[in-house]
Amino acid sequence: MGPCDPNFLSCFLIVALPLLSFAVIMIFTWRRHRLSLAISLTCSTIPLILAWSLFFRLKDTVTLAKPIVTQVNWLVSDAVIVPFGFLLDPVSLLMLGIVATISWLIQIYSIGYMEGDPGFARFYADLSLFGMSMLSLVSASGMLQLFISWELVGLASYLLIGFWYEKFSASEAGKKAFVVTRFGDIGFFMGLVFLTFFMKDINIFGLGIFDINNAALTKKLTEAQFTLCALLIFCGVAGKSAQFPIHVWLPDAMEGPTPVSALLHSATMVAAGVYLITRLFPFFAASATAMTVVLVISTITLLLSSTIGMVAKDIKQVWAYSTVSQLGFMAMGLSAAALGGSTLFAGYYHLTTHAAFKALLFLCAGVFIHHFGTNDFFVMSKDGGRKLAIPMVTVTIGALALAGIFPFAGFFSKEAILAQLWHLPNKLWVGLGLFGAFLTAYYTFRVIFVMLFPRKDDDPVWQEYYVREEGGHGHGAHDDDHGHGGHHGVPWVMSFPLIVLAAFTLVLGFLQTPLEKFLLGESHPHEMNYVLLFSAVGCALGGIGVAWLDWGSANARWQGFIRKVPALENFFIQKWYMDHFWRWFLNTFIYGTFSRIFTYNDRRVVDGGVDAVAFSTIGSGRLLSFIQTAFVQLNLLFMVLVLAGVGLYLLMGR
Amino acid sequence: MLVFNQLETYLYLALLLFAIGLYGVLARRSLIAILISVELILNAASINFMAFNRFLAPHPAVGQVITLFIMAVAAAEAAIALSIIVAVYRKLKSINIEHATELRG
Amino acid sequence: MLIAPLVGLIILLLLKDEQKFLIRAVSLVSAGISLALSIYTFMAYDKGLGGLQFVEKYEMVKTFGITYFVGVEGLNAPLLLLTGIVIFTGVLTMWELEERTKEFFIWILALVTGVFGVFMSYDMFMFFLFYEIAVVPMYILILVWGSTRKEYAAMKLTLYLMAGSGLIIPGILMLYSASGLNTFNMLLLHKAHFSPWVQKVAFVLLFFGFGVLAAVWPFHTWSPVGHVAAPTAVSMLHAGVLMKLGSFAVLRVAMYLCPDGFHYWAQLMALLATVGIVYGVFVGLSQTDLKYVIGYSSVSHMGIVCLGLATGTVDGVNGSVFQMFAHGIMTALFFSSVGYIYDRTHTRDIHELGGFSRIMPVASAFFITAALCGAGVPGMASFWAELLVFIATVKVFPVQGLLAIAALVVGALFALRVVQTTFFNAPNPKFTHFEDVSPFLGLPRMMLIATLIFFGIFPQTMVGMIKSAVIPFLQGM
Repeated sequence: MGPCDPNFLSCFLIVALPLLSFAVIMIFTWRRHRLSLAISLTCSTIPLILAWSLFFRLKDTVTLAKPIVTQVNWLVSDAVIVPFGFLLDPVSLLMLGIVATISWLIQIYSIGYMEGDPGFARFYADLSLFGMSMLSLVSASGMLQLFISWELVGLASYLLIGFWYEKFSASEAGKKAFVVTRFGDIGFFMGLVFLTFFMKDINIFGLGIFDINNAALTKKLTEAQFTLCALLIFCGVAGKSAQFPIHVWLPDAMEGPTPVSALLHSATMVAAGVYLITRLFPFFAASATAMTVVLVISTITLLLSSTIGMVAKDIKQVWAYSTVSQLGFMAMGLSAAALGGSTLFAGYYHLTTHAAFKALLFLCAGVFIHHFGTNDFFVMSKDGGRKLAIPMVTVTIGALALAGIFPFAGFFSKEAILAQLWHLPNKLWVGLGLFGAFLTAYYTFRVIFVMLFPRKDDDPVWQEYYVREEGGHGHGAHDDDHGHGGHHGVPWVMSFPLIVLAAFTLVLGFLQTPLEKFLLGESHPHEMNYVLLFSAVGCALGGIGVAWLDWGSANARWQGFIRKVPALENFFIQKWYMDHFWRWFLNTFIYGTFSRIFTYNDRRVVDGGVDAVAFSTIGSGRLLSFIQTAFVQLNLLFMVLVLAGVGLYLLMGR
Repeated sequence: MLVFNQLETYLYLALLLFAIGLYGVLARRSLIAILISVELILNAASINFMAFNRFLAPHPAVGQVITLFIMAVAAAEAAIALSIIVAVYRKLKSINIEHATELRG
Repeated sequence: MLIAPLVGLIILLLLKDEQKFLIRAVSLVSAGISLALSIYTFMAYDKGLGGLQFVEKYEMVKTFGITYFVGVEGLNAPLLLLTGIVIFTGVLTMWELEERTKEFFIWILALVTGVFGVFMSYDMFMFFLFYEIAVVPMYILILVWGSTRKEYAAMKLTLYLMAGSGLIIPGILMLYSASGLNTFNMLLLHKAHFSPWVQKVAFVLLFFGFGVLAAVWPFHTWSPVGHVAAPTAVSMLHAGVLMKLGSFAVLRVAMYLCPDGFHYWAQLMALLATVGIVYGVFVGLSQTDLKYVIGYSSVSHMGIVCLGLATGTVDGVNGSVFQMFAHGIMTALFFSSVGYIYDRTHTRDIHELGGFSRIMPVASAFFITAALCGAGVPGMASFWAELLVFIATVKVFPVQGLLAIAALVVGALFALRVVQTTFFNAPNPKFTHFEDVSPFLGLPRMMLIATLIFFGIFPQTMVGMIKSAVIPFLQGM
């Protein structure tokens, strides 16, 4: 259990190496790009190997009920004890592997994508920082350590989103991401603070995740306490996993370089929120009220983001909104499972498959963006996007998986979630879930069909869609350097990760049963629910079919069916006016009201009061200064008279 | 009894000197005159010390020591005062105290 | 430790104006010796044993019971370390100063002597004496070497602090006479058991008196103005160390001697502190001068210190002392990087600056680190301090605690806004020709960052130290 334990050591190395690389690059080698790359790659390859070796070594010995906990005390104050350590159970082992793999792949990919950027070394430093904090988040043994990594992940994301900091929109997006997730984290933090007291009442210090779950299973706390803490912690989840109504930062976060979008905003960081729910699954499950709230919010998120995804023209925006919607889907699955008394498998499974295929989709998008210097997939289509064979094939695989088509990974995991929803007494949820699946398939294939089947160059539709903005959207200085210049095919460092991820996407689907066995220690035989199966596949195929009619077939109108209802379309294009709402809120209340009033108060009332005292002192000095005639002898006379008076008084007085 | 052998004589002398000095300090307008008057006041104090020492004090030397001390202080004081007066003269071209009114409020 | 700056000061007095290098070297050496000594005491202090160590004691004025009585314990050891680090880096930061070099370093060393004295004294009279020694040089330092409205700022600062002293003296004398022990020794006075009425009155006097220096709301307006006007190293010392004198004195004198008074007024303290936290960030949000921004963030962070003290729990006071340390280092870093930029560009208006990450990557990295630390990012020392304070506060004063936590969001917004406008976006062509920080000038800033991160990663080294004193301290109350 101590620090010399081999498990502890290898976990520690997994976490510490990327941090080391961050520090070394930031302090010493930030001017030397090659060297920094070497350092960073070394420090991400070793954790990769360690993580998988841990996985294979321990996969038969640990279970959810009996994890390996190794920790040392980090900080001991009075009521606050923060342990530093690692909790190894199936959930964290698998996630460690996934995070390590994806960050490694992204680092490889970025060699090609970021080549020649002046901030190359800084980029790798930030990636390392991110890797460190995400790995520590995944394996943390205590909630406070998790919270710290959680914040560090936010910091890394801030740095990476605002990577091209000379662009106003990028630095603005970074700021927005940090502040909005901070907003959620405050809730998280308050939840932890309350939890500290509740746990202290039953003499458990240090907020170990395992202890919390045990307390939940044995009903040590009251229902109200669970609900309060669970809801507050869910605020943090909503912030990081971009759930309604604080999802607004995620689409803007696409201002960062595309590998960052792939790494942070699809596969790992945003999944942290959902991961937290799985981590504390028994705890969340202990409060039905909280889970209902989660269910409602995630459903809203699913529908909101799918509908916005239908009208976006920026390929990264589409994937971003699909990420938001899939995260909503996972949260739905988890909360439904909690309400239905089932296990965390469905949501977690979707988390893993989603990590693979969404990273794939983003990386493909990155290849296109890198090649064409634009984010608009209509432009890519016209400029011959389908000629890039490898990315086009892989992006189609990813899209099929996202839409939930057999035999790709998404099919199985979506199926599992829908089955959870099906078990709820209220069939509304499963209906909404199916509708979400339909929309997902539609907007995904809208992109694919547009890219695959471009119109002829003189087709009138281009007037509406072919708008080449100079400088692109979110790609700034980069494409001016070499984006336009080099139609140089796809470098192998970029296509290699694509192929690996595509392979994952294909394979993961068939690993459902072994994975379930590994996670839960047992595998439930699936009774095949044919009604559900057919309706799910039907929805997905229906979505694709509608997309085909709208965008794919030779005589399609190239107008979304939503165009029929212009008001609704506008509503979607304006992103349900959520951005407007927050902007208004910020301007009116924070800047407009509090800040102004307080500043005014400071200048006029507090400071003014003090100055008034000072000036009145000077003024009264002026008033009294008539005594000062500067006539020395008068003063002396006065002095002598007074002294004489005192002397007389002393002589006569007694 | 001889008039010289009485304490009162010396006290009256000192009082006279002090009164003259005080009058000088308060009434004369020339800085030099004021300085001289201050010396008179100091001398009055010295005479007092000597007189009390001679007629009342058990120890014969204390008063004389203090007188010597006063003389030293007076010399220093006169030096400083004269330098101030010179400075004032340089600035105002006058040593009349009525002209030194820069500190008026 | 006390002697080193003093000796340096005397040597400086003997040097000639022209020997600038020698002057700098002498002050650097004496600052370095104090730093080394403070590190030594920090390391050598035996936490297991606790209590006062390294004690020196001489009778000074027997009639009034004044003794020269200094010592080190868990509460002041971190602050001594802080002072050592800040003076050392401050001297290095002002290496380029050309105007009246000798006088500058003399005054700054005098100030530091006072600060060390305050932190170590256990005699109330000497405490106050050193307190004044520390405060007075500020006036001259700002008046002579300052900028932007320096006369106003210097006068305002001095008047405020003198008004504070005007409250402190009656407080101290009241306790002195009420005890009837004829001693200023705080350890003895602590055992005197004053009547509740005396404690209540004395506590208010002392709290507000020292609170002025700790920038307790609403007595904070001198501090942003003072920061703005002061030269770099003075801002560093001022915000980094001097403001801590106030909060430390509240802890050491007011709370220690008047526990009943403290319990009676704790609500008020917490309220003022919370107002300060929330108010500071909101006012800071609308400032455009870099130094004003930092000044108001200091107001907010000192609010956190006071809030921690007000809880009167082990966690709260631990966090509070830790925050004093962390904030000291952080603000020093802030001012030193702003000072560097200001010396080059002669403007601090955040709208006029811009894109400095491209022009001076290193200098802006320093500032950004400080800003992130101010926003409470983990991995930095102040995160732990805030964590402890907030957890303790929510328990004792739930409403204030939650408000203060909520202010963190605005705090983040406020820090990032400054970073964005100053360091990101397109560079202002006016400033593109400036050079980045040279390694030599970067050294002091690197030291500050290293300190922040060291205690961010190993908080136990600090908390264990503080705790060894806080637990007996609070048990005595």
